[in-house]
Amino acid sequence: MIAKRPRAKRGANPAAYAIGRAMPSRAVEPAEAGDVAAALREAADAGEAVVVYGGGTLQRASNAPSRYDVAIGTRRLDAVAAYDPHELTVGLGAGVTLAALDRMLAEHGQFVPLDAPFPARATVGGTLAAAWAGPRRAAYGRPRDFVIGATIALADGTLASSGGMVVKNVTGYDMAKLYVGSHGTLGALVRANFKVLPAPAVRRLAVAPFDPDVRERALAHALTLSFEPAALLVIEGFRDAAGPAGSRIVALLEGSDAVVDRTTRELRSVFGAAGIAETRLLDGADAARAFQSTLDAYASSAFADDVTLLARGLPSDAAARAAAVRAALAGAETIADLHTGDVVVRTREDAAEVRAVLPRATVLAAGATREVDAWGLAPPSIDVMRAVKAEFDPRGVLAPGRFVGGI
Amino acid sequence: MAVSAFASRLGDALGSEVVRTEPEDLAVYAFDAYSEDGLPSAAIVPRDAREIGIAVRIAREHDEPIVPRGAGTGLCGGAVPSRGGLVVSFARMNRLLELDVRNRRARVQPGLINLQLSTQIARHGVFYAPDPSSQKISTIGGNVGTNAGGPHCLSYGTTTNHVLGVEYVDTFGEVRRTSVDDPGYDLTGVLVGSEGTLGIVTEVDVRLMQLPDAVRVCVAAFADVETASDAVSAIIGAGIVPTALEIMDALITRAVEAHYHAGYPENAGAVLLVEIAGAQEDVAAGEAAIARIAREHGALSWRAARDAAERDALWAARKGAAGAIGRIAPNYYIQDACVPRTRLPAVMRAIDEIARDHGLPVGNVFHAGDGNLHPLLIFDRREPREVHAVIDAGTEILRTCIAMGGTISGEHGIGYEKKETLSLVFSANDLAAMGKVRSVFDPARAFNPDKIFPTGAICGEVSQPATAASAG
Repeated sequence: MIAKRPRAKRGANPAAYAIGRAMPSRAVEPAEAGDVAAALREAADAGEAVVVYGGGTLQRASNAPSRYDVAIGTRRLDAVAAYDPHELTVGLGAGVTLAALDRMLAEHGQFVPLDAPFPARATVGGTLAAAWAGPRRAAYGRPRDFVIGATIALADGTLASSGGMVVKNVTGYDMAKLYVGSHGTLGALVRANFKVLPAPAVRRLAVAPFDPDVRERALAHALTLSFEPAALLVIEGFRDAAGPAGSRIVALLEGSDAVVDRTTRELRSVFGAAGIAETRLLDGADAARAFQSTLDAYASSAFADDVTLLARGLPSDAAARAAAVRAALAGAETIADLHTGDVVVRTREDAAEVRAVLPRATVLAAGATREVDAWGLAPPSIDVMRAVKAEFDPRGVLAPGRFVGGI
Repeated sequence: MAVSAFASRLGDALGSEVVRTEPEDLAVYAFDAYSEDGLPSAAIVPRDAREIGIAVRIAREHDEPIVPRGAGTGLCGGAVPSRGGLVVSFARMNRLLELDVRNRRARVQPGLINLQLSTQIARHGVFYAPDPSSQKISTIGGNVGTNAGGPHCLSYGTTTNHVLGVEYVDTFGEVRRTSVDDPGYDLTGVLVGSEGTLGIVTEVDVRLMQLPDAVRVCVAAFADVETASDAVSAIIGAGIVPTALEIMDALITRAVEAHYHAGYPENAGAVLLVEIAGAQEDVAAGEAAIARIAREHGALSWRAARDAAERDALWAARKGAAGAIGRIAPNYYIQDACVPRTRLPAVMRAIDEIARDHGLPVGNVFHAGDGNLHPLLIFDRREPREVHAVIDAGTEILRTCIAMGGTISGEHGIGYEKKETLSLVFSANDLAAMGKVRSVFDPARAFNPDKIFPTGAICGEVSQPATAASAG
């Protein structure tokens, strides 16, 4: 699918790889997995700190590196290594964008529910490395659950693979689980294999604005649908996410004609009973666009000095946690995911204020002028994680200081 | 026999309620469903993680290996204490600790039997999806160790997709907890499927799913396994993923019917079992679409189970297939491998040829929708020629699957049996990366040594074949 181009292009523009105020002294954009491994080895031997950079859409979801000498851009690792639609599997270079993946799969009526913000820029490798997991994971599973194989370039210059191209595989450790969510601190993902799903016949987005006085009733009713929406969000603020601004329930329905139609009728009736005057329906491409705008809002800033945080938790108290944040912080906007339990908060206040209410909140996005610790509290097994890091990157050259606990 | 210093220290620390040291008591911990065994120096049947922590510390001080054990249904020797040491049994840690229906999660002890979990929670409208065929006896802890699969993986995924976190005892005897929702490396994902080589899992947080509104189970007859496999490839290729697509060949179908009388067409060359679950409207439409493709690809008949009792009977017979063979064959060796799904017809042809070349009858019962094969080679272990033929044929089947882009275990694990074969799939660099993880969690190689990792050169040596237990 992708035309052959010359190998590693040296001397890419380092300014394109700035993270906050940190800028690398050089940037490379290898086109082959082997060249990524060689670049890592070279940097490690020289003691240079390396950041692996995909589309840059989630770079604020971890801290700026404490040292930053070399950027390895993955955008040229954009080959589709294997795709046979009859297998329902696909093998991709880490630099393939999610938009390109979506387009290719859609031609065959298939999809992978990765739900990433800004898919035109977001890459497969970056989305996995950043542990991205969106609203549809309650219905379909997390991105990690779709990865059936992975290859990583390690700091010692080797390439290590695990899994394969089959959908069931217990041959050796499930190393991809370790690489997914490692934020480039263990190596550079160069390839990922996914299982894919047949796409639903119909996609419909229902947007139901509600008045504060019917809030409790509206939320309770939203959970009574006999067919569960693929995503069910309560958005307050976030004008950019399937607007209008104000309070609204957003339900993404995915399935067959018959089931989506039945659910639509049911949804109108329960929302009506809850006192919601009007439920707006968007279909097909309109639904996809509006849902994508919501996902984009997770990882974007409205102001140069705001910050967007994510707190995972139980679905049953997601709406209450969101309400608690809004009560504590004037002007805070929230998204409460009633299926996954995620609460997303965008605010111009201090992250510590959010963490006073949601102690485990981590950063998804921040305005250009904002400096913020992405991680907050370290998890209980941080010592094990440090040991993992030391084993994979003994010289500490991979994304130093970016990860939780200063890893 | 004199009790060792190790065993007597364990006894002092944990008491005779928990510690077993008599050879006649230890014999039951010497083997699983694989053919090799090894007697441990001691076994414990602890009541909680704290007791396991104490035992791990003592074992480490005495340089004794530690082997966790579920129900012992594993087919690859994963629970065999091949170097002696301490076996940790979960027979007493077998409870459902917490059930949270609204949030679709439960916290369970590792010794809880897989089927009992779903049975206990069914009245709340939820279930635990991974269902290995051994689910009537195998434990959640054992399932976590091997990342167990089962027929319904096709649409629900394997064990790792349903584990939200674990509590485990580490190499220092400390009790730790992981969660997939914590920031940091996904230690949960690494522990699942590590076959007891990284730590001893003492609690499991599982994801539950809503029971489907409607379920339909259908059976189609085909002339032979190849034709049935071709139909499965066509169904998947058409973008239809039902909840299960299982194939049994003529030998297995006859054995199963003789025992279960479940209603499979006995004279068929192969049968395809299809389960479709979901919303009422979708199930009816799904059945029609799948039946049409099946007919276009050689189905000779198509029949749907009329009620829940018939459905359950068909499933019970399918899950009891290996046991049914055990009643008619002197011995059998069940292989586990996985290929890309479009290669199914080709791999079935190849397996048939390999078995014929070695003069062995072969039965096939497998998770066709996933490309996950379970050829059963039938032999008589009293005949040395047949034992050798089984070993050679088993290895050849694995090599064939690898050559087709597949792998050597879809759901049973590597264990003791396939550790040398692992080098056929992974390079030294691949294995070195896995070794780094082992070094972090278990630098002394005290947890379940002799498992997963190859010890020697790349070779096709497969040890003695297994002789019992249920398939996938």
